[in-house]
Amino acid sequence: MRNFIRAYPTEARLIAVIAVIMLFLSFAAPSFLTLANLTALLNNNAVNVIWAVGLLVVLIAGGIDISFAVAASVVQYIAAHIFMSIGGGNWLIGFLVAGGLGILVGFLNASLIHFFRIITIVVTIANYNALFGLLMFVTSGRSIYDLPDWWTTPVPLIERQSADGTWYGLYLPVAIMALAILATWFLINRTTTGRQLYAFGDNPEGARRAGINIGRMQFIAFGWTGLMAGIGGLMQVNIVREVVPNALMGRELDVLAAAVLGGARLGGGRGSVLGCFLGVMLVAITQNGLNLMGVSPFAFKMVVGLIILAAISTSNFKWGGASRKAPTEAK
Amino acid sequence: MDRRQVLTLAGATLVLPFGKIAVAADNPTLGVVVKIGGIPWFNAMEQGIKEESAKAGVDGSMIGPTSADPALQVRAIEDLIAKNVKVIGVVPNDEKALEPVLEKAMKAGIKVIAHEGPGIKNKDWDFELASATGFGEAHAKLLAEKCGGKGKYAVFVGSLTVPLHNAWADAAIAYLKANHPDMQPIGDRYGVAESADDSRKTALDILSAHPDLVGFLAFGSQGPIGAGRAVEERKLIGKVFVLGPFSPGQGRKLIKEGALTGGFMWNPAEAGRVFVRVAKLLAEGKEIKDGDTIEGLGTVHPDTATRNIITDNLVAINADTVDKLADMGL
Repeated sequence: MRNFIRAYPTEARLIAVIAVIMLFLSFAAPSFLTLANLTALLNNNAVNVIWAVGLLVVLIAGGIDISFAVAASVVQYIAAHIFMSIGGGNWLIGFLVAGGLGILVGFLNASLIHFFRIITIVVTIANYNALFGLLMFVTSGRSIYDLPDWWTTPVPLIERQSADGTWYGLYLPVAIMALAILATWFLINRTTTGRQLYAFGDNPEGARRAGINIGRMQFIAFGWTGLMAGIGGLMQVNIVREVVPNALMGRELDVLAAAVLGGARLGGGRGSVLGCFLGVMLVAITQNGLNLMGVSPFAFKMVVGLIILAAISTSNFKWGGASRKAPTEAK
Repeated sequence: MDRRQVLTLAGATLVLPFGKIAVAADNPTLGVVVKIGGIPWFNAMEQGIKEESAKAGVDGSMIGPTSADPALQVRAIEDLIAKNVKVIGVVPNDEKALEPVLEKAMKAGIKVIAHEGPGIKNKDWDFELASATGFGEAHAKLLAEKCGGKGKYAVFVGSLTVPLHNAWADAAIAYLKANHPDMQPIGDRYGVAESADDSRKTALDILSAHPDLVGFLAFGSQGPIGAGRAVEERKLIGKVFVLGPFSPGQGRKLIKEGALTGGFMWNPAEAGRVFVRVAKLLAEGKEIKDGDTIEGLGTVHPDTATRNIITDNLVAINADTVDKLADMGL
């Protein structure tokens, strides 16, 4: 336990904050600590977590990606047309197509960054605008509602009825979220590539001199973000059952805020999948709690913004130097 | 008489003989400038304009700018003035931005008809197929009917700053308060109805917090869709009713399952036809008086002070009508 707190101070603090908020909500809002509500929280935030762990890899590698939510919209559109043209498709084809298209968009970002030596924020902001413009231009803003059944039918992992008659359950996006978390964890913590990503993000020049292939790092990082963007887009359609060109716009900032909240550093070299998950959940639980308590929707964004501010500003604040002293005590 | 007026007069005398010949030989011309081209709503309106033009003997066409930009509408109206059409129709993006150019059109002797812009100045008439009160009350009435006139309901609007949605919500809440005292709204209205995802999440939260909820009134095109999905997910079909205006194509599946109860809209194709009918009346120099009947609007009561003709010609969206509406591309 103490080792965990020392090794993962941000994550430990997030867990503590979430625990306090949950404890408070369980008294303030009787319906908070019900299975129906907790499962809904997971279902509703699965896509954000998928995107967050994807984005995490780019953040660790010292970059930033503003374009992934729009990329997910583009993937949804192209995928919808591919499925229609092949007469339906199935989940396997769906994952291959959405993941593949996502990786392609990621590689586009990576090529521009690597071959033209442009900084990541500029490339991805440019791509964000270019992709969104292209999407609106080609589709004239039309939404697609007529989608293959396999794609829009909810896939329950478990479904139960509680004593008071409320139905609840966990659905496919939660399983995919778990897979995305595991896969990303494995990539960044258990492979040489993962260690190289951290090294590259922390000190690109040092990494280059140590013989790390920088181009490879960019392609892996943005490819991974693209892959998760595509799969997140696929899951989003499974939840909302429609493809709307501008529906995902603006989500990139929520996800980015959550990832940073979870301890990913914008300068690169730091961040964990657990932190990402907790960051997304902290914002989600706050919003959910405000809804359940019947707090005026006027106050919503304000409270969420304040919590993000508080969490991020305290993360850089050394509590009386405690975090620096702790290791010496242990010795 | 200043130089400009002299020039206008000179121009008019030059143009007039040709103009007269043209009118005698041809049908009256009508150009309708809409908010944006290429989207289903205005495609349907164009269809209506074309059909009715052919029938009524009007040379009618629709111009849809590439984006919902008031400046593009101004330019399109300038072009119509230059072409010397008889009647200009407009569905404004920004009422204020169009005032100077419409003034110019009226000075040139062109009749101006507006739709979905009751506040606009410099027009001969504005016609509406739905009044804010009528629209809000229609949804409220249906909700009260479905839930037996008692229980708690939640209200969604597109955003807390959309005047029209809030006017609908005000009318609906006022109606329920006056006629069904056993129905109470929960808390403030939620500004989520422009996103299906936000509406769904908020609806799930509200369903958790209020197990005795009987309905959602969602004003804003994505609100009913999101709330309907939440009701379906919690398997509350038949217990919680979701009402609001939405795109029939988008809500087709949900309404057939019963997760979405229904809503009202007005028919853009009918609006297109009314444009042509009113244009024809104005081109023939006829005045629209209280008690007149215009096809598509019914018996009208024009407000001569504001130059508005406000009617309630709502189309119900329900399991029976949804296919037909969706097939129109709406």
